[in-house]
Amino acid sequence: MSDSEDAHVGNMEGHGNGLPLGYNDANRAFLQALLSRGSVTFSEGQSILSAILSTTNPDRDPIPSDKITRDIFSKYVHTAHEALLPFDYDIRSTLHQRTRERVWAIINVESDPATQLATVHTPEEILYVNRLLDQMFDTHNTPRMEIMAVDENQALKVARPSRSRGEDGAEEVQTQGGDKGLRASDVLTLLENLVAEGWLEKSRARFYSLSPRSLLELRNWLVETYNDDQAEEGAWQPIKFCDFCKEIVTVGQRCDERDCVTRLHNICQEAYWEGREEKKCPKCETVWSGKQYVGERAVTGTEAYARGHRKSSGRSRRQRDEAEEDEDGEE
Amino acid sequence: MNGKRRQSGRQSPASDSEDGSDNERPQLSDSTRTNHRLASKLVRYALACEYSRLPIRREGIKENVFGGEKVARFSPIFDLAQTQLRTVFGMEMVELPTKDRAHLTLDQKRKAAKSQTAKSQNRTGATTRSNAYILVSVLPPELRGPKIIAPSKVQSSEGEASYAGFYTTLIAIITLSGGELSEAMFRKFLSRLNADQTIPSMNPSNQNQPSEQTEIVLQRLIRQGYLIKGTAAGEEGDEAITWHVGPRGKVEVDNEAIAGVVRAVFGDATEGLENKLQTSLGVRPREEVAGGAPGHGRARHVQPKEESDDDSGRQQNGNEDEVDEDEEDQPAPRRRRVNTAGQHSPMTIRTREDGDPGSSRRNLFG
Repeated sequence: MSDSEDAHVGNMEGHGNGLPLGYNDANRAFLQALLSRGSVTFSEGQSILSAILSTTNPDRDPIPSDKITRDIFSKYVHTAHEALLPFDYDIRSTLHQRTRERVWAIINVESDPATQLATVHTPEEILYVNRLLDQMFDTHNTPRMEIMAVDENQALKVARPSRSRGEDGAEEVQTQGGDKGLRASDVLTLLENLVAEGWLEKSRARFYSLSPRSLLELRNWLVETYNDDQAEEGAWQPIKFCDFCKEIVTVGQRCDERDCVTRLHNICQEAYWEGREEKKCPKCETVWSGKQYVGERAVTGTEAYARGHRKSSGRSRRQRDEAEEDEDGEE
Repeated sequence: MNGKRRQSGRQSPASDSEDGSDNERPQLSDSTRTNHRLASKLVRYALACEYSRLPIRREGIKENVFGGEKVARFSPIFDLAQTQLRTVFGMEMVELPTKDRAHLTLDQKRKAAKSQTAKSQNRTGATTRSNAYILVSVLPPELRGPKIIAPSKVQSSEGEASYAGFYTTLIAIITLSGGELSEAMFRKFLSRLNADQTIPSMNPSNQNQPSEQTEIVLQRLIRQGYLIKGTAAGEEGDEAITWHVGPRGKVEVDNEAIAGVVRAVFGDATEGLENKLQTSLGVRPREEVAGGAPGHGRARHVQPKEESDDDSGRQQNGNEDEVDEDEEDQPAPRRRRVNTAGQHSPMTIRTREDGDPGSSRRNLFG
């Protein structure tokens, strides 16, 4: 490693030795910081860079977080992205569908046996995650109800592989091989760990959904796996994209016409309508009420849900109220 | 990006090795290109291994990186990967020390002897190589602070931090006891740490599994190479159990890290303490270690506040607190473990095109 390039930190004029120009220890530390976190927000990036640059600037002057501008942050992200590409890693960003906060995540462009080995989860747990994703994007994502999230009971239902599923059920049993599934307690532990690892999010109504980081990592996979690439234009597909930002919608609004596939993020709709004369779906021209939901609100927003939970489930009144509060907060 | 880099005309020998995998520069021979591609794969493999604390082994590289490919020479690829790790990631692969044969059980010794003859390794001892590596950071200590490198979210960053604190303490105790602890003493220390039954789990805020059985954690520590449960030369043929520091433990928790534990336990460093540390561990007095970096000192003060809020593992006991605080307080000069991302999580595996078809894929495309 050449030390000469390390002389001036933050100085982007480097010796082009195969790395992005000016690549130095500050960039390496930033990369390690990203690797250790998996994903960062701008404010996390500010505190990371403030810590890095405070130690690497020539006079060792402390640099407060608020002095780290978007430009500085973007420069480091971009450099990290360039440095990672040859290794089939990438840094991509997306807005959090609820909080609108932008999240940058390191993603694996290509998954191979070498990295597969690295998981800290057992093969049974990985097969379970496959079933959980099927629950989210298949079972609980229909033209009528696009929930794309599961509650605990639904997550527990697929603790073990089912014996007969789909039309080609017979074949299915074989693909499961020796998979004995997980015990209920293991599922609960795994779910919490996946939340702590940043792959899942758990809402106050206790629905599990994919985090922005998972969506970034799985974007293409979800489309390939769940969508039918032979389908006609305009046909309903499990994975749909926001008409405004073109990112996957797992939380948002849908067209009031059930057969229409226009979707919008809650966080995008304001800007979307601003540029339009009428609040009408651009495809089918139905008036857009903004009251048809994608995500857990497709369930929790219904009267049936409220009734059902009053009657049968173990969910307490208090929890339901929390859920509703949460949704109010989303808007 | 590659294109730009390729044209930037460098002459240094190192420069070629830093290029990406898919280098189409015409003057590069096929073998050079293959080496570059495989080196990048090796880098991925190394990062992946470190994530689950598995050693990077030659056999593992052959199987997972080279696959079925015939590779003429191993070392050029390895060296290339090493250069890429250093220049791009600020990390490097460090060979683990070989296990000290004196600590092995008879059975283990027999096995070791067998495998050594099989590999026809140098049996004079000193130069025997383990051929197993772990990834460590080569960045300057002040760039390894917890504000920059967070405890990786292997299962949760709190869990990772308390786990690291636990083994760092155990390794410190064993090392300062002369590198060996009898089973009885080891257990005594565990109960002093209030860790003789359970310790916080890898995700202490998980209500379903806030703590784990100590025995299970010890097995993991042995498996990951932090500790060795060996035997002392028994007097009457019976083997007494003894505890030693394992190869990963020796590399990851170096003497500087051990000094960090001692400083945290004894509070503010006095001259006397620093002298003792110097005698026992050969570490330099603290002032020099910290390097007088003002920024670094600042980061240290901020950190504990940040992490202590959600560290529910703490409620376990007071001593564990010390461990954790130490971990957060001054890991900058001591913590060597590289934290790699969770991109090797089960989610990633969903992107595989080969192998496991995945149930849903079957469902849709039958």
